[in-house]
Amino acid sequence: MSLEIESMVRHVSPINPAVFPHLTLLLLSIGIFFTAWFFVYEVTSTKSSRDLFKELLLSLVASLFSGFGILFLLLWVGIYV
Amino acid sequence: MSIELPAKSKMRIFVVFLLFISAICGSTNVDTISGEVKIKNVDRIIDCSSQLVKTTSKITLENTGKAPLKNFLLAVESSVKDNLSFLGVKDSNNKDLRLSETVVKGYGDVRFYRVDLKDPLNVGSTAVVVAEAVLTKALQPYPTAITQQEDQLVKFIGNLYFFSPYHVTSQKTNVILNTKTIESFTKVKPFSQLDGTLVYGAYANIGPFTEKELSVHFKNNSPFLTVSRIERLIEVSHWGNIAIEEKIEIEHTGAKLKGPFSRYDYQQDHHSGPASVRSYKTFLPASAADVYYRDTNGNISTSNMKVKKDSVELDLRPRYPLFGGWKTHYTLGYNVPSYEYLYHSGNEYLLKMRVIDHVVDDMQVDELVTKVILPEGAHSIKANFPYPLTRLPDTLHYTYLDTQGRPVITFTKRNVVENHIQDFQLRYTFPTIFMLREPLLVVASLYTLFLCVIIYVRLDFSIHKEAHVKAN
Amino acid sequence: MPATIAAKPVNGPDQGIFHNTAGFSTLITVTVLTLAWLAGFASRLFAVIRFESIIHEFDPWFNYRSTAYMVEHGFYNFLNWFDERAWYPLGRIVGGTVYPGLMLTSGTIHWFLHALNIPIHIRDICVFLAPVFSGLTAIATYLLTSELWSRGAGLFAACFIAIVPGYSSRSVAGSYDNEGIAIFALQFTYYLWLKSVKSGSVFWSVCTALSYFYMVSAWGGYVFIINLIPLHVFVLLIMGRFSQRLFVSYTVFYIIGLVFSMQIPFVGFQPIRTSEHMAASGVFALLMAVGALKYLHSLNPKGEWKQLLILGTIVAAGAVFLAVVALTYMGIIAPWSGRFYSLWDTGYAKIHIPIIASVSEHQPTTWSSFFFDLHVLVCTFPVGLWYCIKNINDERVFVALYALSAVYFAGVMVRLMLTLTPVVCVLAGIAFSIILELVLKEEDTTQAPIETEEVKNDKSGKAKKRVQETVQAQDQGPGLYARPGTVIAFMILLMLFSVHCTWATSNAYSSPSIVLASYGNDGSRRILDDFREAYGWLSQNTAEDARIMSWWDYGYQIAGMGNRTTLVDNNTWNNSHIALVGKAMASNETAAYEIMSMLDVDYVLVIFGGAIGYSGDDINKFIWMVRIAEGEHPKDIHEADYFTERGEYRIDAEGSKTMLNCLMYKLSYYRYDSGGSPPGYDRTRNALPGNRGFKLTYLEESYTTEHWLVRIYRVKKRDEFNRPRVPLAKRTIPTSNSISKKTSKRRKGLLKNKPTVVKGKKMRLE
Repeated sequence: MSLEIESMVRHVSPINPAVFPHLTLLLLSIGIFFTAWFFVYEVTSTKSSRDLFKELLLSLVASLFSGFGILFLLLWVGIYV
Repeated sequence: MSIELPAKSKMRIFVVFLLFISAICGSTNVDTISGEVKIKNVDRIIDCSSQLVKTTSKITLENTGKAPLKNFLLAVESSVKDNLSFLGVKDSNNKDLRLSETVVKGYGDVRFYRVDLKDPLNVGSTAVVVAEAVLTKALQPYPTAITQQEDQLVKFIGNLYFFSPYHVTSQKTNVILNTKTIESFTKVKPFSQLDGTLVYGAYANIGPFTEKELSVHFKNNSPFLTVSRIERLIEVSHWGNIAIEEKIEIEHTGAKLKGPFSRYDYQQDHHSGPASVRSYKTFLPASAADVYYRDTNGNISTSNMKVKKDSVELDLRPRYPLFGGWKTHYTLGYNVPSYEYLYHSGNEYLLKMRVIDHVVDDMQVDELVTKVILPEGAHSIKANFPYPLTRLPDTLHYTYLDTQGRPVITFTKRNVVENHIQDFQLRYTFPTIFMLREPLLVVASLYTLFLCVIIYVRLDFSIHKEAHVKAN
Repeated sequence: MPATIAAKPVNGPDQGIFHNTAGFSTLITVTVLTLAWLAGFASRLFAVIRFESIIHEFDPWFNYRSTAYMVEHGFYNFLNWFDERAWYPLGRIVGGTVYPGLMLTSGTIHWFLHALNIPIHIRDICVFLAPVFSGLTAIATYLLTSELWSRGAGLFAACFIAIVPGYSSRSVAGSYDNEGIAIFALQFTYYLWLKSVKSGSVFWSVCTALSYFYMVSAWGGYVFIINLIPLHVFVLLIMGRFSQRLFVSYTVFYIIGLVFSMQIPFVGFQPIRTSEHMAASGVFALLMAVGALKYLHSLNPKGEWKQLLILGTIVAAGAVFLAVVALTYMGIIAPWSGRFYSLWDTGYAKIHIPIIASVSEHQPTTWSSFFFDLHVLVCTFPVGLWYCIKNINDERVFVALYALSAVYFAGVMVRLMLTLTPVVCVLAGIAFSIILELVLKEEDTTQAPIETEEVKNDKSGKAKKRVQETVQAQDQGPGLYARPGTVIAFMILLMLFSVHCTWATSNAYSSPSIVLASYGNDGSRRILDDFREAYGWLSQNTAEDARIMSWWDYGYQIAGMGNRTTLVDNNTWNNSHIALVGKAMASNETAAYEIMSMLDVDYVLVIFGGAIGYSGDDINKFIWMVRIAEGEHPKDIHEADYFTERGEYRIDAEGSKTMLNCLMYKLSYYRYDSGGSPPGYDRTRNALPGNRGFKLTYLEESYTTEHWLVRIYRVKKRDEFNRPRVPLAKRTIPTSNSISKKTSKRRKGLLKNKPTVVKGKKMRLE
């Protein structure tokens, strides 16, 4: 249980802090694109032409990318969650 | 899981961790003074040049008994008991010796420490140990209030002889003052005065527990800065960062300023206000980045940062110069990368950081509170301290994207000096998969929002149905 | 609206995601509004980037302090808060004397964020509140303008208001003041009002009343709404545009709005007791009378009653007016307050209320500041106004009235430029939209039907006609090159506008004023942080209950940053108290000491800019102190005494004797020998002080900041002066004077008015 310090390795971030900005921009722009697509779809489609599966898929992709984008944005600006 | 934390923390309420946990003896030790130990020679240096009194005594022990000597006792007079901040003993190889507080019957008001020798001292042989003691608030400003242009005079009252439970054959004391302006001092022959140093001794054959007043009244314009409270917050993130924030209240505890403060006089030359403190230096770890220095009214714009090879040197200037009795407070924060202080092996993590860091040279800290915030989900936390500290009950801290709160380990100590800048160790278990908790939380909340929109567009709030149908 | 347009397929062939125009235009609208929000937010951050996230100036410090208090102690304790730190010894009932909307807004945001575990400090919320609300204002302006004209005009107006200096002057980051959120509330209330007049629906009227309630809670400028909306109704009545829609919307709005507005403690019974609010009640009564007469008329619609209707209306109006006048004379309704009176007579404040006249933002506006604050908009908004009047309908009457009244008020007071700015943006947006429509219409024929469709939504038939006319006019059209030329010219104009806006916001309105920056010859920047240095010193090194006397400008800052008791502050509710402080500053040291000991003053704080050439210091403001003091104490203070015989205000050797010996002068120049090339040179007034090397008897210098900007003096206790100075050599240390100290102090108190000192009898060392 109690390991000695010699047998342990130094802990580094799983993702290099240097790529936080790039990851943020990439993920967030993809996320915003899908968010925009989702909302445009919601506004333009009518009750009859709406496809629930497409909506769910679009929103899932949008939230996945935006969510991770927001995380890296936080890390980038110095809020280490 | 961290649900068990509160129960554990209850168990740990106000547990006092003792110096060197491996030490066999508890706080209820009882020792006796062995008559078989003699001190052949003591070379004592009392350094009064800063606001602290640092005593270094080189002690030559002699075993005159019949059995090998495993340990011996150090004594502290009752008059300086409360001022004693740090006591450490080293052997001739510069290795720390184990030290534990103990009690001797019949000497209720004297404080004793038992020193365990590395190798037992054989009969008839001698050994050299070096005891280092740091006293805080032992220099009293006298007079207690001075005007802006006056020098600060302080008085030191101590023991002319090395205070020991053993017979001392020969002893010598150097008092380092670093000034030629000495108003008065105790004169017990033989003594001499060299530059900024008073030399007393050698005195021969002083019996156990002998006290004689040594009083020196001299000029001391070194900064008398007392950190009345420092709250050190260490926030560990497994995304590769450790954030440190120190909230510091600092006070000039030298002779108080009497009468007006004149900016004109103060600007005339840089030697005016000799006892005041314009700025001081703080050393941060070499990897410190994103340093900020502010108080409740915002940034303190007067500071400089120099990155050196082994440290970051901050030249901190408070908003106003500190005269005797003036106070200030500020917050100093910085980030260090986690690989400097955080080690892991699987899910087991070990944090090794300083209990307190450098604030000002020759600092004296009245109260230290250190808080360590671990990532959400860390559990089985075990702490290991280099010297006795009071551990306060664990709490929870809520910050960005937290649901159940992060465990906070808090410990506190009073009367701290630079010698206490040592590492503590904190072991805990943290499943790596928990790092995904925060991003998934964001994703889930966003997805909920989208779902709300999807449901909203399917709802129809209009009262007359027909009109709507017609529109379509 | 999207549903109606979507139902009508505009383009046959699909073009990817943009096959549907409704989706496309919604996307554009959302994008433009988002960008406007971002641009508005970003252009207000100059101060944060240059300095730091900090509360600016004076009033924001009070708002911040009360917000922090509310966040700490809860809303109800805030409403009951008696602030003993202000207006010593009177204190101030804060809960009943503030518009709590601002504090509630940021407190709610703080509460919400902390409920989500986002630990943002309340100061940062306060700093960024105004920039965030500027985005909301842009959206409200968009809604208002699209209600008035078209969505295109709305987008123009939204972009204008997001960056226009006239609005950003009051809403940069850190300028945490009521106006920051009130302009949003104002625009949104007007939008809802137009919506309710258009639809005549109770729902929209109730929304209007709710939004009005928010406005009342946020800013005293709500009086503008409660006078403008009745004026709108009144003018519509005169124009013969009475309708059931108008009747429903106004009556519902008035009653609910009245009840709501009386819930704000600071407003209380004012809406039914003061003249400022009487227009609204009068119009309400009049509308009721007209409604009744109309009803009677409808019973017999043959036309004989037409004269009776007009006569009845006039009689009703006259009766309402006379009733208000009579009630005013009977004292039931309070007459116009002085501040309001000064809006009609610009010279009024100067004569009767010097404290209002002493504030620079209460001065009449200069022409240049119209251009500075509005740039190209000030030239284009008459175009929009003209089009609105030309194609008049119920809503456009409103915007015309709004524009005319706001122009008048903006001319009277610099500060009210703020109420003019939104309507100028709306009208300029309309003007630009019309111009671009004229220029671009023919080239892009596919867009024309949509525009027509939009305008058709307007209730007015005239508008529809107009579009057809313009389309016809387009057939001849401007020349081949005139069209792109116009477009380019307007693009350049708009670019110049945005450049000007950024420049003005950056240079004129983004200074926190508590942190000053000076630039060296090499372009290096030096920060002068003297204010915070002094306030920090006060907060750490004086007694917790120390009372600080300073001119009222600095009251809020001392309370906010120094956390000490002040005598007067920026809430200038008690003129005589301020006059007393002014009198102390204007008197000589002995007379001032009497006033200061009467007021229990421990420290005196003055601002002195002579060493660094800071022009906003106390000596430059001093003449207002004299004037205000003279207003209350005409026997003791005479303004003329402070001028030279030739009527000049100067501090050098030729200055008047009274001036050179008053407390303010002495505290400013005491031991001041640094500065310019001759030592003691005053760089602000470019003069060498006339009275130098004097000593202070009743005060002693406690602290002076690094650049001499703030000087703090301690008022000596009665036992500290007028006694012989004991030379150092003769000093003996009293061994046990702990008991004698008290008795001797008491004896000194009795000797108060007899400064005779018995030498050598007993020496006390203090």
